[in-house]
Amino acid sequence: MIRALGALLLCAVAGGAYAQTSPEALEWLRRIYQATEQLSYTGTFVYQRGERTETSRIMHLASEQGGMEKLEVLDGERREIFRTRDEIRCYLPESRTIKVAQRSDARTFPALLPERVSGLAAHYDITLGETRRIAGFDCQAILLSPRDDLRYGYKLWADARSAMLLKAQTVNHRGQTLEQITFTQLEIGNVARSKLRPPQAAREWRVEQAGAAPADLSQAGWHLGAELPGFRKILEIRHMLRDTQPVGQVVFSDGLAAVSVFIEPLSGRTDAARIGLATIGAVNVYTRKVADHLVTVVGEAPAASVQRIGNTVEYRPQ
Amino acid sequence: MKANISALMDGELGAPETEQSLQALREDGEAFEAWREYHLISDALQGRALLASDCLHRVSQRLATEPFLMGPLPSQVVTAARAPWFAPSALAASVAAVALVGWMAFAPQQETAPGLAPVAQLPQPAQPAPGSNEPARVPLTPAAQDYLFAHQAYSPRNSLQGMAPYVRSVSVEALAPGKP
Repeated sequence: MIRALGALLLCAVAGGAYAQTSPEALEWLRRIYQATEQLSYTGTFVYQRGERTETSRIMHLASEQGGMEKLEVLDGERREIFRTRDEIRCYLPESRTIKVAQRSDARTFPALLPERVSGLAAHYDITLGETRRIAGFDCQAILLSPRDDLRYGYKLWADARSAMLLKAQTVNHRGQTLEQITFTQLEIGNVARSKLRPPQAAREWRVEQAGAAPADLSQAGWHLGAELPGFRKILEIRHMLRDTQPVGQVVFSDGLAAVSVFIEPLSGRTDAARIGLATIGAVNVYTRKVADHLVTVVGEAPAASVQRIGNTVEYRPQ
Repeated sequence: MKANISALMDGELGAPETEQSLQALREDGEAFEAWREYHLISDALQGRALLASDCLHRVSQRLATEPFLMGPLPSQVVTAARAPWFAPSALAASVAAVALVGWMAFAPQQETAPGLAPVAQLPQPAQPAPGSNEPARVPLTPAAQDYLFAHQAYSPRNSLQGMAPYVRSVSVEALAPGKP
């Protein structure tokens, strides 16, 4: 009996060792990256977080010039995001605001290219899962199980033929789904350029330009301590929030999940700061106060990781 | 409000009214128009040369490209900011007006609440000790939407999913925290 148990245990251990990244699964991730960039498509997807669901329409026109993309939220108040190669515009008709983020600076940080996919295997076990039909497409599941508790896991389903991503789940260490995006309808190919027009905006709308520029926060006295294992600094910029408020942003990433640290002077804020932790789906937002500044860490990572990064922030003027 | 703007220019307003008027200048196009008009009138009365019409814009642009110096304000700067910051004369130089507008654009609250330290805006009891494992659970603030949007732009997940994850940064919860 004991021997049988021992044999079982051995099998379980060996089985665990086999749950390692497979080359096929990595190849699938590469194909998804390429499909995202190269396919033109129109689709409707549902974003789900706990009890909440929100339906959106998305259109992507691939082109040599970097393509164009439009995202339109169909439930509740109108919200649209329009992306060209150079900028992302977020239209908020309710508050008559357009938020603009330039993308020219995107070239300054390491691109997340298919070549980098294999690097993900250092932090996730990437394996193939079941096949399943989603929105009329035969899909292959790809599992990314985190190798530690500093990051979340992901389950992706991609069309077996085109590798277009049809469904994505973010899962915590207990196996609970924190949020998911599922296409309910998708048409690949043939997107008319005329359909991809930026939304109509009246002249009196507020345009908030982020105007991002590279920055060196350590020179200003800000120190972000030891990095979280597996998370590398990929970007350090400064930009404007709501047109008036300078803010520094440092982005850390393990190649898939990203955590941003924002440092903003308290003096310019018009609303009261909330010190503590807020959670929205798979995103944790941790806020604390350091030397008359508000330090806000935003990341699609477990609360403990986001807090850990936030708690290392120090102000030490030279 | 127009009377208040005039009094503001004369430095005759108390702290709460000053704050109110500055808020109006930020939000109310009419108040801002009045502000510009009064300065134009005073410039004309004084025979000062007018600045180019897009001066404001250019000053803002120049300010935006200024080197980024972020850090706690040295105490003497804070003291200066709390001192009456507008010349007691109604006929302040246009240059000062432009500088002020630029200044407002950068740090509106800093001067508007003399005596009220920014720290006082914080709900102190909710503040966790650094290193504590159990921070207070707080709702998202409207400012968090700006953070989510800025964060999303640099998430590697975009390369896997295009813009779909952006839906988070404009989700109703992020726009209006506290709504059921």
